[in-house]
Amino acid sequence: MAIDQLLYVYVLSEEDYPANAVIVREGSKGEWIYIVLEGKVKIKKNTPKGMVTIGAFKEGDIIGEMALFEAVVADRTRTASAIADGPVKVGVLDTNRLLKDFESISPQLKGLIKSLVVRLKETTDRAVQLATG
Amino acid sequence: MMNEKVKIPPIVRLKYKKGELIIKQGDYGISIYKIIHGKVRIFSESGDTEVSLATLGRGEIFGEMTFLNRGTEARTASVRAVQDSELEIWHPGRLSNEYTQMPHAIQYIIRQVLERLIRMNKLVAQLTAKKLEKAKKPATPVEAGASQRRYYRKKMDTECIYRPVGSSPKLALHGKVKDLSMGGLGMEVRTKNALNFSHEKGDKFHINMVLPNGKKFAVTSKVLSTNNNSLLGTLLMGMEFSDVKEGDGRTLGFFLRG
Repeated sequence: MAIDQLLYVYVLSEEDYPANAVIVREGSKGEWIYIVLEGKVKIKKNTPKGMVTIGAFKEGDIIGEMALFEAVVADRTRTASAIADGPVKVGVLDTNRLLKDFESISPQLKGLIKSLVVRLKETTDRAVQLATG
Repeated sequence: MMNEKVKIPPIVRLKYKKGELIIKQGDYGISIYKIIHGKVRIFSESGDTEVSLATLGRGEIFGEMTFLNRGTEARTASVRAVQDSELEIWHPGRLSNEYTQMPHAIQYIIRQVLERLIRMNKLVAQLTAKKLEKAKKPATPVEAGASQRRYYRKKMDTECIYRPVGSSPKLALHGKVKDLSMGGLGMEVRTKNALNFSHEKGDKFHINMVLPNGKKFAVTSKVLSTNNNSLLGTLLMGMEFSDVKEGDGRTLGFFLRG
């Protein structure tokens, strides 16, 4: 398995999803962060013109990382849906440990990371708007 | 540890005037910028087109992508001041040690966020370019003034040099005259020209061009209307002549009736 061993130690449990199952639903609240262990996942956003795919994740990719950055996503509301593209195995990461890790870094570096995540969220919204507008 | 801290360059503050370029896409740069006051626009350049990616204000940070990419990549976008701005500039040496000491899992997640952002920026640029293609219908020239309609009006797409009245004669901004009549003209300019000089209703410009018949033509015109196409990055201005020299008037009449 090509999963980073240093990250694998954060995996609390593994979950299997059949094709087309919803792993994370846009608009719902949740703070679990996942890593794709096997299979493929489509990231979709709801738009006035229906669901639009904004990303395709594979083994090793993180799902739901925005939940880590409270300042970015109010109330930890999911910004997109993650849907199994065929059978998928994901690892549920230890969110508390990740949060502690994040808190341990300097305020300046934290500011930098938050700015990056805000930009990702805004740019994604912009891309969706352009694709459907 | 203490010694290393001493070597790190201090934080400096720099002021940028409205319109000044702060970061040029493709350049190698490692500094990180924080906005103390003012506003900047982040845009991606492809050919002649500028695609806006974001506008940032007080307290926001930019230039962090190159740093988080560990300084191996060129700047992925350009940044320009859209207001007079004061910026705090951090030398990344301040943060490099901290970055390498950051928990591995956080580094892993940040790398993915970064890759996703780079991909999304490219997507935005592509989608904008696609929209641009669609919008490339023949540009509709702005009517220069209803009262002038009895005159001949010729459509054209002719380059011109212009500058605001009162500016240095050395200044040469580029525009395109889209239509011309005895009373006025429609001129299209890049929106970015308006970052440095006001292009508002009532503003006056000296305009110089060579007409399609090969004759030189110079005129001073006043802006009657503006139409900003943010997608194309162009500004279409309907203008009325405020000062036409006798010789130029004759040249124009000859051209329009010819």
